[in-house]
Amino acid sequence: MKPQLTLQTPLELPHQEISNYLNQLWISEDEERSGANTFTLMVWQPAWLEQCLVKSGLISGPITGTLSPEIIKIAKKLIIDKGLSHTTSIYSEELLILLKENLSNNDFEDFRGQFFESSISTLNPRRLITLAPTLNKESEIKTFVSAYCPLSENTITQPICGDLVVIRGDSSSINQKGLKIIDKLSIKDLPTWLWWNGNLDESQEIFNYFTDQGIRLIIDTANGSPKRCLRILDQSIKSNKAINDLNWVRLKSWRESLAMIFDPPSRRPILDHISDIDIDIAEGNFLQALLLISWISDKLKWVFSKIDKHGELIKIEFKRNNGDKISTCINPVPLGNPSIHLGQVIGLRLISKISEVPKNNTCVILGCESVECMRLEAGGMADMQLIEQVVPNAFSSSEFDVSKLLGSSRGNTSPLFENSIKVAVQIFNSFNK
Amino acid sequence: MPSTLSNPLRLGLRQERVIPPQCLIIFGASGDLTHRKLIPALFELYLQRRIPSEFAIVGCARRPWSDQDFKEKMKAKLANQISENENEWEQFSNYLFYEPVDLQQSDHVVRLSKRLNEIDKLQATHGNKTFYLSVSPNFYGSGCKALKAAGLLDDPKKSRIVIEKPFGRDYSSAKKLNQIVQSCADESQIYRIDHYLGKETVQNILVMRFANTIFEPIWNRNYISSVQITSSETVGVEDRAGYYESSGALRDMLQNHLTQMLAVTAMEPPGKFEPEAIRNEKAKVLQASKLADENEPWNCCIRGQYAKGGNSQKRLKGYRDEDGVNLNSTTETYIATKVFIDNWRWQGVPFYLRTGKRLPKRLGEIVLTFKDVPVHLFESTIINPAPNQLILRIQPNEGATFKFEVKSPGSGMKSRPVEMEFSYDESFGEPSDEGYVRLLADAMLSDPTLFTRSDEVEAAWKLYTPLIELMEDAPWKLPIQKYESMTWGPPESDQLLSKDNIFWRRP
Repeated sequence: MKPQLTLQTPLELPHQEISNYLNQLWISEDEERSGANTFTLMVWQPAWLEQCLVKSGLISGPITGTLSPEIIKIAKKLIIDKGLSHTTSIYSEELLILLKENLSNNDFEDFRGQFFESSISTLNPRRLITLAPTLNKESEIKTFVSAYCPLSENTITQPICGDLVVIRGDSSSINQKGLKIIDKLSIKDLPTWLWWNGNLDESQEIFNYFTDQGIRLIIDTANGSPKRCLRILDQSIKSNKAINDLNWVRLKSWRESLAMIFDPPSRRPILDHISDIDIDIAEGNFLQALLLISWISDKLKWVFSKIDKHGELIKIEFKRNNGDKISTCINPVPLGNPSIHLGQVIGLRLISKISEVPKNNTCVILGCESVECMRLEAGGMADMQLIEQVVPNAFSSSEFDVSKLLGSSRGNTSPLFENSIKVAVQIFNSFNK
Repeated sequence: MPSTLSNPLRLGLRQERVIPPQCLIIFGASGDLTHRKLIPALFELYLQRRIPSEFAIVGCARRPWSDQDFKEKMKAKLANQISENENEWEQFSNYLFYEPVDLQQSDHVVRLSKRLNEIDKLQATHGNKTFYLSVSPNFYGSGCKALKAAGLLDDPKKSRIVIEKPFGRDYSSAKKLNQIVQSCADESQIYRIDHYLGKETVQNILVMRFANTIFEPIWNRNYISSVQITSSETVGVEDRAGYYESSGALRDMLQNHLTQMLAVTAMEPPGKFEPEAIRNEKAKVLQASKLADENEPWNCCIRGQYAKGGNSQKRLKGYRDEDGVNLNSTTETYIATKVFIDNWRWQGVPFYLRTGKRLPKRLGEIVLTFKDVPVHLFESTIINPAPNQLILRIQPNEGATFKFEVKSPGSGMKSRPVEMEFSYDESFGEPSDEGYVRLLADAMLSDPTLFTRSDEVEAAWKLYTPLIELMEDAPWKLPIQKYESMTWGPPESDQLLSKDNIFWRRP
C-alpha cells in the first residue's frame, strides 16, 4: 500500500490557536460532519536517518518519515562504504555520527506527519499527532494543522474524516513546549495511542511523559538497549498500562509455526521431553530471542533456573516440574544482509529426547530460509526424526504492523506477551545480578 | 497417546475477532432453535472470551416469561452443556433478558423498543442491535415490517437482521419476501443464515481451491467427469412433522444447504476475499445452474420417502407412521437430482445432489471424480479402472481423501487404488466450532461473507422451479418412491446415475 498524502497542505498556525481551530473545524450545520469516532494516534517520528541522508545530499527531499526501500538501500551501501561492520544496523548511532559530519545547513521540505500508510488511514484515526524532532538545534516549535478524509474504495459510504497536527522543532523544544501543546489536544472519550517510531534509549523525558499519561504504547524493542526496553516493558505491565511491541509482533510467524508443528495430537508427547533449544539470531540485540524462549517456557510451564554468558552465546537453563533440565541457547550469527531490525530470530532448533537411541528422538527445526534449516541440521540431527519448517517471512512494514495492532487490539496488553515479559525480566535480572 | 488435551503452544495464539458491544434480540426465544443452537453458540463465544462485557441477549416470544424465567429455562435446557462451566454460566446469564413480544402487535414492538433502550443504557451496548428472526417463516415479512415501523432498523450501521431458512417456499415467494425485507432494511443489514456455510469444512473448500496451486488448474470440465454432493441423516422426522410436512427434503435441505455446497464447489475464484466478491461469484454460478432436463424434470430427479425398517433390536417406523404425519403424505424425505452448470468451466459435467432422512450414515461430503486416463497401460486398470477421486468430508470425520492408483508390490505391474488422507482431528486435534458459533459472531461483526444474498437465494429457488412446479401441478410424474429405513434411498436413485455409467459413492 502506498502512503497517502493529505489533499490540503497543512496550515501553519501558532500553537495557541490550534485547539480553537480544530474545534471550529468540526462545528457545522451538517451534523454528519462530526469526524471519526475512533482514536487518536500520536507518532514520535524522528526519522534521523532520512534527515541525515537528505541533509547530506545522498537522497533528494522532501523528508517524509517513511522508511523507503531507497533509504534502506543507500544506508546499507553507506555502511559498507564507510567501513562499518556488515552487521551494523541502519539505525545505528555509528552510522548517524558519520553522516552528521557532512550535513548542509540548507532547509529541506519536511512532510512528516502528512504522509501516512493507507493501512493506517483506512482505520480512520480521529486525530493524528506527529512529533517531528529536527536535526537542527535551536529550532523553534512550529505547528501545522490539517483536516483529512481518507478516500474509501466503497463509494457508497460517506468519507469519515479526521484531523492531523504536526509539531516540529528540536527535541528540547518539543520536550519543553510541544508536550504542553499535546496536553490540550486530547479528545475526551477516545483512546489515545503513542507509536514510538524511534530508538527507545533516546529522548527518555518525552517518552516518560507519555507513559505517565497512561497512553496505549506501541514500541519496537529491536530499537533500543535490552536493559532499557525490558525496563519499559516491565514497568508497563506492573502499572497495568497497555503496551505493544513490534519486535514481539514480528515473532508471530515463529510462534505460529512452532505451535503448528504440535497441532497433531500424535506429536504432543514430544513437548514433554524437550531437552535443548537453540535459537539463532542476527547480531546486535538478543531481546526478541529472549521473548521467544520466555513464551515457550511459560506455555510449557518450565521454571527458570540459571543464565550464563559465554562470549556472545547466552545460555539459559530451565527445569520441568519433574526436575528434568532444559538447556537453551541464544546464538548471535553474523549475517551478510541482516534485517533492518536488529537481532531478529533466524532459526530455532528444538530437541526432544525420549531414548538413548537417536532415531527414537525428535529434532524440530524452524528456519527463516532452507539454508538455515540445513545449517541447524548439522551435527547429527539427521539421525533423529526430523521435523523441518521454513518460517514464512511476513515482509510487512512497521506501519502495516502498527495498523494491525490499532485495528485488532482492544487496548490491553496481550496476555501471552505479558507472561513472556515476566519470564524475560526474571531471566534478565538474574543475568545482571 | 497425546500428552495434553490441547496444544499448549496454541493456547492464546489464535486471535479471534472480538464482537463489538452488542444487543442480540432473539425472536422465537421459547422455540427449539434458541436453546438447541443459539444460546449454546453464544455461551461458547463467551467461553472463548469473544463476547464483550458490553453485551445483552434479549429473548422475545409470546410467552409471558420474566428475565428470571428465561434464565432458568435456558439453564435447565442446557444443563448438560454447562455442567462443567457452572460459574461461567452464572456470569453469562447476566447478559440474558426477556421481553414478551408478539411481533404482530405494534404496541408490543413499541414496548420492546423502550426496553431495548433501557438495556442499551444498562449494558452500554452503544446502540448496536442484531435482530434474530427464529420464528415461523410466515412471520419474516411482517416481523421486518414491525421492526421497521418501530424505527428499530433505521440505522444501517448499528442494526442488523438475521433471518433463518427457509427463505421463501419457491422462487416467487422468495422474491416477494426479498422485496418486503429490502423495503424495511438495506441489503447490507440483512443476514440470511444457512448454517452449512458456518461449517469449517465448507469454508475449507474455498481455502483448498484458492490457496493451493494444484487444485484450481484441474477443477474444471477438462479433468473432472462428475461431482456428487451428499448430505444424509440417520434420524427421521422426529418432532418436526408439522414443519416437515409442508417442507420436505427439497425445501429443507436441497434448495439451501446442498445448493450452497454446490455454489462453493463450483464458483469462480473471487478477485478478492471480500464478502461481495465472494457472493457475486456464488450468485453467478447459481444463475448458470439448471436441472439436467428442465423440460422433463422427472428424468433428472428422484423423490423418496422412508418406509419402516431397522432390525430386531430397533424397529423403525415409516414416515407415514410418524406422529403428526398425514397417513397419505406425499412429502419427500429423500431427493436426488442431477444439475448442469452452463458456463465455460463446468459445461457438460453432471452434478448429482442427494439428501435424505433415515439413511445408513449421517454425513456430508462432496466427491469430485476425475476423468479416466486417456490410455490404460496396465492390465489391472483396463479390467477395473478406478478413477481418481477427491472426497471432501463436510461431516463427520472432517477432512479430505484423495484416491489414486499406485503399483502393488511385486514383480508384475499390477496397480490398485490407495487413499491419501487429511483429517482435521489428526492435523489439528481440536474440534471445530458449531456453524452457529461462527455465523452468530460474523453477523454481530457485520461480516456478511458466509450469509446468502438476495440474488443467491432467488437463483437457488429458480434452479428448482421446474421441479417444484411439477410436484405441485403433476405430482404423479414424479412419484414418491419408498425406501427401507437405513438404506441408501430408493433403488431408482441409483438408476439416475447408472444411466450415465456412474454410481453413488458408498461412504
